[in-house]
Amino acid sequence: MPKLSLWRSVIHLEPAEWDILIVSTCLKLLLFPAYRSTDFEVHRNWLSITHSLPISKWYYDTTSEWTLDYPPFFAYFEKLMSIPAYFIDPRIVDLNNLNYAAWSVVAYQRTTVILTELVLGAAVLRFIRGATDPTTQRIISASLFLHPGFLIIDHIHFQYNGFMFGILLWSILMARNDNKLASGFLFAVLLNFKHIYMYLAPAYFIYLLRSFCLSPSGALLPARFIALANAVILVFLVSLGPFLLMGQLPQLLSRLFPFTRGLNHAYWAPNAWALVTAADRVLLKCKSALGSLAVNSSGVASTSRGLVGDTVFAVIPNVKPIHTFIITIAFQAIYLVKLWRTPTYKSFLTALTLCGYTSFMFGWHVHEKAILLVLVPLSLLAAENHAYFRTFLLASVAGIFSLFPLLFTAPETLIKVIYSVTWAIFIFIPLHRRVYEFPRSLPFVIIDGLEKLYLAGFILLQAFVTFFPVATRQSSASLEFLPLMLTSVYCSVGLVWAFLRLSVLYLRG
Amino acid sequence: MHKHGMKSWVVPCAVLGSVGAKWAVGLSSYSGQGTPPMYGDYEAQRHWMELTIHLPVREWYKYDLQYWGLDYPPLTAYVSWLCGVVGSWINPAWFALDASRGIESEGSKVYMRTTVLILDTLVYLPALLLFVRAWHANRSFRTQETALLTLLLQPALLVVDFGHFQYNSVMLGLTLLALNCFATGRDLLGAFFFVLSLGFKQMALYYAPAIGSYLLGKCLYLGSVHGPRHFVNLAVVTGLTTLVLFLPFLPPLAPLAAILDPITRIFPFNRGLFEDKVANFWCASDVLIKWRRRLGPKALVRLATALTVLGFLPGAAGLLYSGWRLNPQPVTVDSMKGDKDTGDVRKAAVREPAPIMALLPYALLTSSMSFFLFSFQVHEKTILLPLMPLTLLLSGAGEGSETREVGALASNVAMFSMWPLLQRDGLGVPYVALTVLWNRLLGYNPFRIPSKSYLQYLALGVHSTCVLLHILEALFTPPARYPDLFPVLNVLVSTPVFGLVWLWSVRRGVEAGWALGGLGSKSASTPKPAKIEVNGYDDAATASNKQSIGREAGARAISLGYAQGRRRHGHRNDSISSVLSGVN
Repeated sequence: MPKLSLWRSVIHLEPAEWDILIVSTCLKLLLFPAYRSTDFEVHRNWLSITHSLPISKWYYDTTSEWTLDYPPFFAYFEKLMSIPAYFIDPRIVDLNNLNYAAWSVVAYQRTTVILTELVLGAAVLRFIRGATDPTTQRIISASLFLHPGFLIIDHIHFQYNGFMFGILLWSILMARNDNKLASGFLFAVLLNFKHIYMYLAPAYFIYLLRSFCLSPSGALLPARFIALANAVILVFLVSLGPFLLMGQLPQLLSRLFPFTRGLNHAYWAPNAWALVTAADRVLLKCKSALGSLAVNSSGVASTSRGLVGDTVFAVIPNVKPIHTFIITIAFQAIYLVKLWRTPTYKSFLTALTLCGYTSFMFGWHVHEKAILLVLVPLSLLAAENHAYFRTFLLASVAGIFSLFPLLFTAPETLIKVIYSVTWAIFIFIPLHRRVYEFPRSLPFVIIDGLEKLYLAGFILLQAFVTFFPVATRQSSASLEFLPLMLTSVYCSVGLVWAFLRLSVLYLRG
Repeated sequence: MHKHGMKSWVVPCAVLGSVGAKWAVGLSSYSGQGTPPMYGDYEAQRHWMELTIHLPVREWYKYDLQYWGLDYPPLTAYVSWLCGVVGSWINPAWFALDASRGIESEGSKVYMRTTVLILDTLVYLPALLLFVRAWHANRSFRTQETALLTLLLQPALLVVDFGHFQYNSVMLGLTLLALNCFATGRDLLGAFFFVLSLGFKQMALYYAPAIGSYLLGKCLYLGSVHGPRHFVNLAVVTGLTTLVLFLPFLPPLAPLAAILDPITRIFPFNRGLFEDKVANFWCASDVLIKWRRRLGPKALVRLATALTVLGFLPGAAGLLYSGWRLNPQPVTVDSMKGDKDTGDVRKAAVREPAPIMALLPYALLTSSMSFFLFSFQVHEKTILLPLMPLTLLLSGAGEGSETREVGALASNVAMFSMWPLLQRDGLGVPYVALTVLWNRLLGYNPFRIPSKSYLQYLALGVHSTCVLLHILEALFTPPARYPDLFPVLNVLVSTPVFGLVWLWSVRRGVEAGWALGGLGSKSASTPKPAKIEVNGYDDAATASNKQSIGREAGARAISLGYAQGRRRHGHRNDSISSVLSGVN
């Protein structure tokens, strides 16, 4: 496609699209003074590292505790952003000006999030053009651009997920448009922005190998293979090359992969391990009631706090990183075999989602923010049929709710709830109308009812989480983490169920 | 939205979204944040909660007047007391007497913001919903929804109430409830609400000439038998409500002299002609004519009062004159004989809105804008009062209509006129975001190439000047000789626009009055045909379910008043309906 018309199609927006862009931007502007996590200072520190230090010191600097631990493209990206920052307020990029929180830096960094998120906006717009069902795709695209996950994590908590998921969606779009070389190239770029996308890499690898590098009969197409390999190697060279030359690769990798963390994050991400940990708690209660002695005493202390550091189980055998690794690979292998056999775009999309999902479910030290790796590709499948839609619904509701604890301050509570509810109404209702099917047999009716019951339970859960701290102001601190634990367990039930649903749908389909 | 079968969700989503937007505005700083020793309006409101819960009622208007002494009418004091009681129950430190002055904890801010949001949701939101149902009842759903959004997200109100921090929406909401009652023929309830509005914030007086004239005009319209009776009823309700509001300051609960405490606090004539910079006649003309040097304070008060009266006179007189003129011929002995149920018809008319209802929004605008432009001691935030009737008119106006052009221009200029205040409060970002948001929802682009009228050229010119001034202010610091250069320029841009809006409202009021039956002699027809219509609607209203009562009542409000007018002056029915909807 000629470059000019590409740009025109990106810039040319329909009135409804302008509405979404302008209204959402105004809302994001209003959120400038909202709560921001330490990630805000992390990124400010990276601006100052990349601005004040030569490239050779980027991955060695320890002035702030928030050392640079993203791949080089992100560092280059920060370097780029530090240039205007310097002209706006030189104090922003002052390395020793830790925890700088003047209005200039808040407004600047928040603005960069809004602007870079336009990459996401452009990608989802391009999904509409050339979609088989543009009206449905329009709803899905709007749902992605307005996703509460991005509002919570990027515009309040502070990160650049919108930008990076924008690159991911461009890459997926290229796969849909049968431009697989560009797809692989963009994914390689993405990996060099943030290495968490490695969770999705197996699906990309199998898909590109099978459908791009091999002919349908299974013969290798050398020209394509070499082109793809060159593209990917080129990207990695641009990214890692300077550090390779300086012999800093081991240092860089040690920053990127710190293997010193526990099974669960501070607040348990709502995955399989959250359920296992919860089961351990319950078993512990049972055992101590029965007076049994076979209890790991360090585990009793560990998870009663349910918090930072290593999780040690009291009853259930302890889980080691290698275990989580094996389980993840085993599950992914199942989907990848299926992908190898049916290397279509839709199959790729589902396998991609499931790869991310598996990593989220069974990974070591998973962070709750990683749920976006599941929700974003899953959104593209939302309108396949009613079964997919229901999976999307359950995963989205549970996944977005599981992000709520990120914003624990009172003023933001109302924002996240109102925004998510409004988003849900705008997205779920029209999609539901498009794909609705009546449950066909008794088991399906029962499952349907249970799922609805589960979804309704979130209202009670939110009420509990809101009012529990008020009601127990004076009582013991041991109950302090009960709302968090309950949120985690309740969300993980839904997410595990949606995971099973999606797996069955994919493997049977 | 309608395309996707989401019709029934539009209003809940609009309401939910507006609540979210209001709360998001509240994340910003408030007036006087971090500026001891006096802080700002936020501290004033908080301080009133503090003093009302700790002091006996009679001390309220006397306690340490130098530090934000209570100077709003008693309903504000009672509401403050309630907020204070609930707040102290959550955390007593927020409202500890004297010790809590200037408290700036996160929890206290959240609580204060919550009180505004809750009061707004309890008073203003229902008033808007009823308004849209009642006044735009015979318009399409889409128009009603757009109208609702336009009203819900009026940027000036949002930024002052939820950013700067005040409770204007309560006062405006009570007035709007009164209007809704008038529109559905419940005048007594309406009068009650309006007194509450006055009792909440004395600024509601800006509306009093229009509302008083409407009620009086209706009495004239009702004729010699039911008119006086209606008048007495209204007077009793108004008097009683006022009495109840001031009860704690009256005998036997307090000596007679006690009533002077709130009264002198509420009407401070000992302050200056204007404060800071405000886009009204006095401040703008002060650049040329140094009023305070030429005239003494007493003469200024008199001059201001005279100009204000002159300013609202057209609107008030229009209502009274039309009411008198539309009054059907007095019931004579002859007609009594021939037309037995005429008396019943007149009686029923008491419970209907008078046809002069169509004039009321314009009269409200004329009156409140006149107060804003000419009266004594006006604040820049007071522009919210003229903005309310203007936004009501705007909400139903069609694409490209004059009302819409004027409304959007005035609303944007009103935002602009508050810029110096908002800048001080650190509300620059909400200022931009809310203005852009509202214009987009309205579908109004101030910078499009004008095609139709001189008005569009004017709007383009004014908007461009505003943007230019913002850019200049950002780039240059004013010379030391004129530190107030930009605020003064702001006043000089804004005041003429407000003056034009005032003139426009007078003109439209006259037009609307003319449309109701010309400026000629009194009408001679009887309202008998309308009676059938009345019954039809009444039956429908009682028979239908709860939700549609609002709609039916609304249909009545419009169809009735105007159906009657239409029947009498059939040849003008186009202009009648367009007067209300603003489509022209």
